[in-house]
Amino acid sequence: MSGKEKSTPTRRSFLKGGALLAAPLAVAVPAAIVADDASKGRLAKLENEAAIRELHRAWLRSVNTGARDEAASLFADPKRAAFDTSVSGIAPDHAGAPDAIEVAADGARAAGRFDCVVEVAAPIPQDTTLAQMAHAQGGGYIRRTERRALHVQYAKASGAWRIVKAEFA
Amino acid sequence: MPTPYPKEQMHRFQFTKLTKEQIAEKLGPAIQSGPTSASPLADAFAGKSITIVTDKGPTLAYQFSGTNRLTVAENGGAAASAGYGALTLGSHMVFFSHLIPDTQRGYAVVVDRGTNLATVIELWFSGYEDNREVQREVYYGYVDQAGQQAPTARHVATNRCEGKGFYWKQDAGAETLEFYPSAAYSNFVELSRLGGELSFCAPSDYVKINDDYYIYTRTECEFSGTFTAYVMDLNRLRQAGVRLGFDRSDALEYYVFRGDGEWLGQHAHFEKFGDEAGNPVPAAAPGQTAAKGARRVYRPFKTMAKLTKAEVDAACAKRTSAFVRPAGPVAGMSGNLGPNTTYLAGRAFTLRYDHAPAIEYRVEDAENLNWRKEGDANWTKARYQGWESMPGVIMFGHLLEGMPDHDGHAIVADFDQGLVTCFNGYLNTPYFANEAGVKIHFGVIEMEGLIPPKYNRHKFTEEMLGRAVSQNYAPNLTSMHLYSTPHSLSWIIFTDTDAGGLQWSGPAAYVKIRDGLFFMYWLEEACNGTLGTILVNLHTMRDVGVGYNCGPNGLSMSAVGAHERLAGQFDIKRFYQVPTTGGAV
Repeated sequence: MSGKEKSTPTRRSFLKGGALLAAPLAVAVPAAIVADDASKGRLAKLENEAAIRELHRAWLRSVNTGARDEAASLFADPKRAAFDTSVSGIAPDHAGAPDAIEVAADGARAAGRFDCVVEVAAPIPQDTTLAQMAHAQGGGYIRRTERRALHVQYAKASGAWRIVKAEFA
Repeated sequence: MPTPYPKEQMHRFQFTKLTKEQIAEKLGPAIQSGPTSASPLADAFAGKSITIVTDKGPTLAYQFSGTNRLTVAENGGAAASAGYGALTLGSHMVFFSHLIPDTQRGYAVVVDRGTNLATVIELWFSGYEDNREVQREVYYGYVDQAGQQAPTARHVATNRCEGKGFYWKQDAGAETLEFYPSAAYSNFVELSRLGGELSFCAPSDYVKINDDYYIYTRTECEFSGTFTAYVMDLNRLRQAGVRLGFDRSDALEYYVFRGDGEWLGQHAHFEKFGDEAGNPVPAAAPGQTAAKGARRVYRPFKTMAKLTKAEVDAACAKRTSAFVRPAGPVAGMSGNLGPNTTYLAGRAFTLRYDHAPAIEYRVEDAENLNWRKEGDANWTKARYQGWESMPGVIMFGHLLEGMPDHDGHAIVADFDQGLVTCFNGYLNTPYFANEAGVKIHFGVIEMEGLIPPKYNRHKFTEEMLGRAVSQNYAPNLTSMHLYSTPHSLSWIIFTDTDAGGLQWSGPAAYVKIRDGLFFMYWLEEACNGTLGTILVNLHTMRDVGVGYNCGPNGLSMSAVGAHERLAGQFDIKRFYQVPTTGGAV
């Protein structure tokens, strides 16, 4: 097997590995018990991931609509909700890596990584008539978009996930 | 001999702050008589009853008797009797207006009898801190046809009027030039009322009825508060409308008018192809609902700093700066400035003005010079910046520290021709001490090896008159100049969708330096007090210039530079019968 083949998983190698992994378990314990525990764990993981995705969507909505108070309510500590005020919009980067959410083994902490397209709006200083008029009509910002990775830490308390920290890499 | 010129221009006149009670008293007779008219009123609706239903607005049930009496019931309420005036335009359009008894409200209505669609403009006084400023809300709807389904089409806010310009002459004799360089504002030049020296700007609405007919409004905010609306036929160049407000003597103007127009041209507008949206400057922030009548209005007189001479002296003593580079990533109006020239570095010369003291220069490098009035013993060092806009033509500027009026010079020197023009900015002007004034000096360059002309000078020009030129100073910082009269210009600020948005205007002058090279200034009077100067090169489509401004934070001279686009030119020279260049017509 070449080095290239080792570093590039294929569907065939994945299926092969999955089959090898499953074999000892089937021998060690009764199948029904294993299936039940695995299902519960899998269900809990899926539920946590779903809750975190919904929390992430709610946070994106609040950032994109400028609802900073609403965004703060999604944080475990609203005082840590302060976010880069130059960011006026965040959208998923469909050309980036898939969203990744990892829930810790204790089920109380999680981390998310989301590739995003970020709109950054820098206010033009109002030191000229032109800039003052631009602001007066609701403009006056220099806008640019950047592809960035958003890293978010989560914590679960009283059965609900909250954001601990959100920052761009 | 009477002249058409006012003693005080519109932006200088102190309009009375009328009370609600004064307005109510003045409106009383007009509510019952209706608007006056120099033309015969139309009987299009005489003897008829119609109900106009609007979206998000009132339902108005009318009964018209004759050409000047109606009853109107708002939203099913009791009918009230009032005077009205109606005028028709073409075979289908009817424009009428009336006031509502016991209120300070009224309506201007356009009905298209061909489609039964209607635009209703509700008008009211005492809705802003300046009671005389007419407020308006525009509703779209239709004339209810018993037994028929309501139409789904509507008149619509549009940018399709953007870039047009007209000369209008009303039936009572009022003559104006009107330009629509924005989809939210407009320019108007009062030829007959004020002599047409200056153009002024006002928030406006533009409504599309169909490809031929449009509705236009303007409210003279910051001035008299007078409201004008008309429906216009762009092909036949006719208008019918209403004027409602209080004039300089606080007399009520409430009349309907007809007018005939002349098409002056069409300049470009810069929205994406296919974008015909109106109202490019929404009153409310995204996600919020605007209050009735709300819109964004530029109110520069209200917001400008107004300093006394002592305050100006103190501000200048606290901070006087020239060509400080902007801090941070946003370049402001110098974002597209070209490189500073080294042309003047090491040179010594005298700028000899015809009617002002000659100034001697010893230039150290590309940013520092020494100047003195001819005959003075001592030199004064000053920071400057200069740009070679065309080979041999240098624009540069510097402050004249120590002068009692804190002068600043913006200079264009043509070293190939030996000619110089200086826009001499100064403070301590009559209305507000921090408002810049300007003196224009023509003259020659004296320098070793250079023989200047004896008689030839740069000259005022009308070549730029009517032109519209856009200026992109930096990303998202784009404006357009409209050279609207020989003595004023307007600046239009583009929105994020590149629609024309807010605009304002000020006194200006234009000097021709060479073919395709024009030196001009504008004064932001009753605004920010700034003297703006630019040298426009129509060959390279770039401008460079300096701004001169004094406010509470001090006196500054700053550099500006922009990439330009020529947007077009209105044909308006014929309205200024005496060319500023002199000579026989």
